[in-house]
Amino acid sequence: MGDAEQGSSKGKMISLEKVRKSFMRGREQLDVLAGLDLTIEEGSFEALMGPSGSGKSTLLNLIAGLDQPTSGKVIINGSDIGSMSEGQRAGWRAANIGFVFQTYNLMPVLTAVENVELPLLLAKLPAAERRKRAEIALRAVGLEDRGGHLPSQLSGGQEQRVTIARAIVTDPKIIVADEPTGDLDRHSADEILKLLEKLNTEFGKTIVMVTHDPAAADRAKTVHRLDKGVLAN
Amino acid sequence: MGLVTIAARNVWRNKLRTVLTLSAVTVLVIFFLLLRTVIWSWTASAEQASRDRIGTRHKVSFIMQLPRRYVEEMRSIPGITQVAHASWFGAKDPNHTDDFFGTIAVEPKEFLEVYDEIKVPKDQVEAWMQDRQGCIIGDALAKKRGWKVGQKIVLSGTIYPGDWEFHISGIYTADKATVDRSTLWFQYKYLDESRPLRLRDQVGWIMARVDNPGRAAEIAKAVDAKFDSRDIQTLSMSERALQASFLGMVSAILRLIDIVSVVMVLIMGLILGNTIAMGVRERTHEYGVLRAIGFLPKHIVLFILSEGLVLGILGGIIGLAIGYPFVQKGMGPAMEENLGAFFAFFRVTPELVVMSFVLAALLGLIAAIIPARTASRLEVVSALRRVG
Repeated sequence: MGDAEQGSSKGKMISLEKVRKSFMRGREQLDVLAGLDLTIEEGSFEALMGPSGSGKSTLLNLIAGLDQPTSGKVIINGSDIGSMSEGQRAGWRAANIGFVFQTYNLMPVLTAVENVELPLLLAKLPAAERRKRAEIALRAVGLEDRGGHLPSQLSGGQEQRVTIARAIVTDPKIIVADEPTGDLDRHSADEILKLLEKLNTEFGKTIVMVTHDPAAADRAKTVHRLDKGVLAN
Repeated sequence: MGLVTIAARNVWRNKLRTVLTLSAVTVLVIFFLLLRTVIWSWTASAEQASRDRIGTRHKVSFIMQLPRRYVEEMRSIPGITQVAHASWFGAKDPNHTDDFFGTIAVEPKEFLEVYDEIKVPKDQVEAWMQDRQGCIIGDALAKKRGWKVGQKIVLSGTIYPGDWEFHISGIYTADKATVDRSTLWFQYKYLDESRPLRLRDQVGWIMARVDNPGRAAEIAKAVDAKFDSRDIQTLSMSERALQASFLGMVSAILRLIDIVSVVMVLIMGLILGNTIAMGVRERTHEYGVLRAIGFLPKHIVLFILSEGLVLGILGGIIGLAIGYPFVQKGMGPAMEENLGAFFAFFRVTPELVVMSFVLAALLGLIAAIIPARTASRLEVVSALRRVG
């Protein structure tokens, strides 16, 4: 694990320049990110840590293209997120970002393989091809024998693995994970972290993970600490 | 798997709520079918009235009588081919005073010529013509009362008090579904000869066949013009208009039923809308996830509208599956048998089946519009923050 220093010689995957993000709370302006600069290399595994309200999730949302900065530039994989419309960002997210959420967020009416298949509905692929890719993704997370199970029939760790399969099924370059082990016991959390490491080392995915868990942060190559909207290190 | 499939599965996520919603929609569809059938059945006789018949009544009111000589005079009006008169008698079976059926005095031969949709076996017609106290009754009335040909019955007069004995000469059927098959038609001379002298030679209304349905209005005017300078003037109109004028008396009731049926449609929409809105509110976070992984607002709209449509279609199908046989096989025959004078043909029309289904489906769709718009306009980050 490194600590804010980047040792890779690969190209920039994520670049934030003087990024500010403000919200209005009543008449008061709240600066969640205050002129933040950050560069993340392609193929790195980075953790964002910090106390509640430090801006971790806001930063992750900007990197994932879910939100736009108030000012500054967010360049992800060569695309300027700030200049995109909502529709363009949605298409861009579908192609470039895989999401792993703390609460899994699987559709309860869909089986594991159907949940994994969900992002592929946006790609113009034949149904058989979609299913095949979903099954491959499930195999990659070790759940090939659970494809027909509903989320309610899976353990928390298995649900999170399905979420990871859904995140990688479109083969995105970046995976953003928001507290991916927050709802899991230690054993399940370790399995998820191993899986993320594998995606990073074997498949070259750039991973940005928000976490409160020091054990989870230990798995990252770099840890960024945020405090009051700026990087502390 | 597609968005519509997922939406259809979402309908069953909260089974209790869906079952309760579908039950409410089913009940409303049944009542809608019933009320619309009441309206249709009540107005069907006017809608399906013969085009080549005109009716003539007293100009002031149809409860006032016309001189019988007008019948003969009308025969000479160009375009009129056959004429028959009828007089409302108003009698009840003393053993079933709450049961209503029509009792009308006519000249048998003229009546059967003008109303040729009424079918009676030839020998029974002969028997009726030869018996001053003879009558024919509809097969529905015969079945309900267990009356047979040749049987003597005694009715209590209401307009003309006293016991009136009739001999059942025949039982009629009809080749038109909207013909009332629960009326008793009897010989006019039996009524007329039994009345006081001052009331004789009067008839209730006159029906005439015309040679050209296209000239019916013109001929009706000619009839009224003929009697315009007399003490008793007439009002003539096509059979359809005449039937409609009878319906005028109950138009307020029909309007009320019409309004209630519309209110039911609105309630159906509100119930569907409430269920969809609750489901959408509970799933806002999921829509946030869908938006995060690349789905557009239009996909969310499609998703929610599909759910509304599926709910509406299901409600329509279940409502019709229960309501159609209930009205068609259960209430229909019972209404025709017991209230044949008002509901000669009480059945659900194919058009009403289609209308009920389309309405239920459309309501599901319309009820989903506002929740769909609201969900699609949420910012992704806000939607992801919502829980439950």
